[in-house]
Amino acid sequence: MSRNLVDFSILKPLWIYIILTVLTLGIGSLIINIKVDTDPENMLSTEEPARAFHNRVKQEFLLKDIIVVGAVAAESESIFNKQSLNDLKVLSDQILKIDGVHKSDVNSLSTIDNIEQAGEGAIRFEWMMAQPVGSEVEAKSIQKKASRLPFVVNSIVSGDGKAATIYVPILDKNESYRISQEIQSAIERLSVVNEYHITGLPVAEDTFGVEMFIQMGISAPAAAAVIYLLMLFFFRSASLVAAPMVVAMSTVIIIMGAMIGMGYTVHIMSSMIPIFLMPIAVVDSVHLMSEFADLYKPGKNAKKVIAQVTKHLYQPMLFTSVTSAAGFFSLALTPIPPVQIFGMFVGSGILLAFIVTIIFIPAYISRMSEERLLKMQSKLHAKSESNGESATNSLIARVLPAWGVFSVSNAKTILVISLAIIGVSIAGVYKIQINDNPVRWFKSDHDIRVADRVLNSHFAGTYDAHLVFEYNEVDELTSDWEKRLITQLNSEVISQQGVNQIKQVLKEKSSSDKIQEVILLADELSFESSGEESVLLNRIVADAEVLVQKVKYFTRPEVLAYIESLQQYLLTTGLVGKSNSVVDLIKTVNRELISGEEKDYQIPSSQNGVAQTLLQFQSSHRPQDLWHFVTPTFDKTLVWLQMTSGDNQDMATVVKTVKEYIEANPLPPSVSVNWAGKAYLNLVWQDKMVSGMFDSLTSAFAIVFIMMVILFRSLILGLLAMLPLSITILFMYGMIGWMGKYYDMPIAVLSALTLGLSVDFAIHFIERTRTYFEETKSWQKTVVLMFQEPATAISRNALVIAFGFTPLLLAPLVPYITVGAFLATIMAVSASVTIIVLPASMELLKGVLFKAGKN
Amino acid sequence: MRNIKTIIFVIAFINLAPLQSTLAGQTPDANEIVNKASLAAYYGGDDGRTLARMKIVDANGRKQLRQFTILRKDMEDGGEQKFLLVFSRPADVKGTVFMVHKKPQSDDDRWLFLPALDLVKRISAGDKRTSFVGAHYFYEDVSGRVPTEDNHIFVSEDDEFYVLKHIPKDKTKVEFDYYKTWIDKNNYLPMVIEYYSASGKAIRKIEALDVSEIQGIATVNKAKVSNLNDGSYTLMEFRKMKYDLGIPEDIFNERSLRNPPRIWLKGK
Repeated sequence: MSRNLVDFSILKPLWIYIILTVLTLGIGSLIINIKVDTDPENMLSTEEPARAFHNRVKQEFLLKDIIVVGAVAAESESIFNKQSLNDLKVLSDQILKIDGVHKSDVNSLSTIDNIEQAGEGAIRFEWMMAQPVGSEVEAKSIQKKASRLPFVVNSIVSGDGKAATIYVPILDKNESYRISQEIQSAIERLSVVNEYHITGLPVAEDTFGVEMFIQMGISAPAAAAVIYLLMLFFFRSASLVAAPMVVAMSTVIIIMGAMIGMGYTVHIMSSMIPIFLMPIAVVDSVHLMSEFADLYKPGKNAKKVIAQVTKHLYQPMLFTSVTSAAGFFSLALTPIPPVQIFGMFVGSGILLAFIVTIIFIPAYISRMSEERLLKMQSKLHAKSESNGESATNSLIARVLPAWGVFSVSNAKTILVISLAIIGVSIAGVYKIQINDNPVRWFKSDHDIRVADRVLNSHFAGTYDAHLVFEYNEVDELTSDWEKRLITQLNSEVISQQGVNQIKQVLKEKSSSDKIQEVILLADELSFESSGEESVLLNRIVADAEVLVQKVKYFTRPEVLAYIESLQQYLLTTGLVGKSNSVVDLIKTVNRELISGEEKDYQIPSSQNGVAQTLLQFQSSHRPQDLWHFVTPTFDKTLVWLQMTSGDNQDMATVVKTVKEYIEANPLPPSVSVNWAGKAYLNLVWQDKMVSGMFDSLTSAFAIVFIMMVILFRSLILGLLAMLPLSITILFMYGMIGWMGKYYDMPIAVLSALTLGLSVDFAIHFIERTRTYFEETKSWQKTVVLMFQEPATAISRNALVIAFGFTPLLLAPLVPYITVGAFLATIMAVSASVTIIVLPASMELLKGVLFKAGKN
Repeated sequence: MRNIKTIIFVIAFINLAPLQSTLAGQTPDANEIVNKASLAAYYGGDDGRTLARMKIVDANGRKQLRQFTILRKDMEDGGEQKFLLVFSRPADVKGTVFMVHKKPQSDDDRWLFLPALDLVKRISAGDKRTSFVGAHYFYEDVSGRVPTEDNHIFVSEDDEFYVLKHIPKDKTKVEFDYYKTWIDKNNYLPMVIEYYSASGKAIRKIEALDVSEIQGIATVNKAKVSNLNDGSYTLMEFRKMKYDLGIPEDIFNERSLRNPPRIWLKGK
């Protein structure tokens, strides 16, 4: 097949040009449909139970994504002064006018309610700050009122009185960038007495999307430029080097077009596809061109030479491409959809680059004029013959042979050192701390990081988690009641018409509605009945009302008291800045209803007392706030935890602490508890990432190992091939452990990539060694030859890939920088390890490996 | 007495009002219409009793139920009124009582009794646009907005309705910019009230869904308030409406909070 393809491309190069152009433009044109996805939630598949639960909670408790605007007073000033409060009022009013803001849930000093004593025996509900503040005295009185409301302190105003926030829930998080821009321009019209910050996950996500494009717009072209210059330096021919650039560009465009065309969104992972494919795609071309440049001599037929070179290199190139692709394909085994997509498309891209290389490079070279080829030839040969070599090339050429001699003669020392490094690395691996926090994906001087630091230093925390309590008996209680009701209906006491009506309700209404509907209907029927029928209808009403009460589990004082103690316990752990629940609402209203004094800040002693207190809460300006904490049937309730850290480690500790508390203090009967909230979801996908990456790494390791054994038809060579990359990966993770750098999303992804990329070096090294050994039948001669041309080629490719990733260092986001820095390092390390450890190991194993060559 | 008066009003209105305005070629007097509408909507009969039921439906379609009996007595048409609201459902708020002495010329007096806490509390006057027990109705929708709070502008009329626009005199006390009413020409009941934001967007709507004559008085049996932003709403049904029962004024006092006047609540 390869033969036919290569022949065709040499005979009909124009056809190849046309086909490649059509494919590139055709599939590439799909890129205009690009959709960016910056939602960390999408790290989990939509069916993932934790995510489904989180979204059910969001729906049931009417929770929206929130932009947080913070105002911070100047050093040694308070936010409670006339100017600051009026600025906040103006800002809040402006925010209420912005389209896409969920107005009724905006929380600011001027949109919240105050409940307080109004003289003897009276209670007052009023807006906290309905009007602009008229005097400093009034400003202080607002501070006093606000400090009495537990919901407000450290959420809407800071405990130190220096800062205030506006919580802006938005209807569609894809609009957060526009909305935050509008908020920003409203802020710019305010006085300058305070400093303002805008944060919140939707803003972070949107900003992330913008920076992602910057990354793709700057880093990918920069990578192309770096690779081009590097190759120009190696081959000294602009026109020749243009060919691999065409391969790289068309591969990247076709893959991105295909991915977007298939409906996949561009996520933080997939946005790195171009910069991954670019250097990998040119590697095969570098091999072809290197050998072509070596073999082509004036007077030779270029077409014949390139055909010969391509056929000769076909096998090793296929194997290196397939092994690299296998490394990336192994990412499909992680349970993280964006990582799967990244792996699949980079893997496919590598295979595509291989195909494009073997058909396009021959076609291109066959169309180059003899004049140009000769020019390139004379430059290259002049270079190698004269002493005017470049510093790097001469360095490589001088150092490498010495390196070879060193590693062979010090094989045992190298073995010891390697073992020592492995030991130290393993110790480092045990020190690895798994942690991530999407806000840390921004550089530490980024506005979002600054806002994060400032607001979390003043408030109880801008990171949310939700602890959701559910009463599990509702379905059973309802169906028992329904059975009893049916028996009562069938007792032939109630008129047929009435029975039919009630049965109709049971059939048609949803389970949460039908109890109430039966009450209404039976009540109505009882008015028009008498005697036995009336008695039974009244009993049906009473029965249903008892059921409604039973379902209202989270109005029972003892159940609320459990939540209250858990909340109090959480405060003592120092992990949670504050927690808010329906219990706090009830206690606050109860306090104001009774005396306004601290002693009455408690849960009423009866279920009806709780219900009546809540009825008062609902007589405020914002009754809907209640449904963020409890469902209207009161069978589920939510505790909102505010945390100052979004680190997964801290969230994990909170989860563990709550679990331990519940083990020591059993939940009320038939109650279950589950986590939701962004901070918790991040923890879930991180756990999946860690275990998923381990699976993907081990399976990639196994696949590549099997491929090596098949390729070399030798178990021992297969093992040898895996050696350098194993040391590299271990070393890398050991280093991460010793450096104390967190094992986060980008670091997790690196392992599988390293495996796929660095095995290339070993393949080439072993393959070339075998060839030389067959030719020379001498291990000593082989070593000398190996450290001339092949080691140079390996070093060259390592440089191309390593430098190809360095433009990621220019990216504005931390994960890109991490990936860039580590990959560049890994490529350098693994190439070095290959040319040190492989010869040393072969020296030690030569008795087994090179039987024929014993002299 | 009062119902006869109303009937006369209605007849006079049906026959003459449209005719007059057409003949004279002038726009009808908005203030006059508003006063009549206020009487029709809140002052039917000299007193009255009704069983009210509210279904409060949130944006997710989930329902809450409230049931209470309202006793009302007018001191003077368009003037002072007294209300007693006694809750019967849900069961856990049964016996909760609200009492209101409405005074168009000054602040209303409001009381509250919570049986489970055995607590009588006065509710401070002030803001009337707080929710009524969690419904989309405001306190002011239940007791009636005093006509002098707004400037009224006649917008248009057709065969069925007068359309008026009302601009609050003090915009800082309300959450809307202005509102419009569609007043039935036959009985002066406001059939639709729509509240608008400063940008001219309709944000809230109250509509009368079912009207019938009870004791000769046009009476709303079913009404709905909708939050036009999120689709949530409250459906209010009035049943067993009775006017002119002769309810004595002295039952609207603090004693009735703890001991609601059973005989007037049940009625026969």
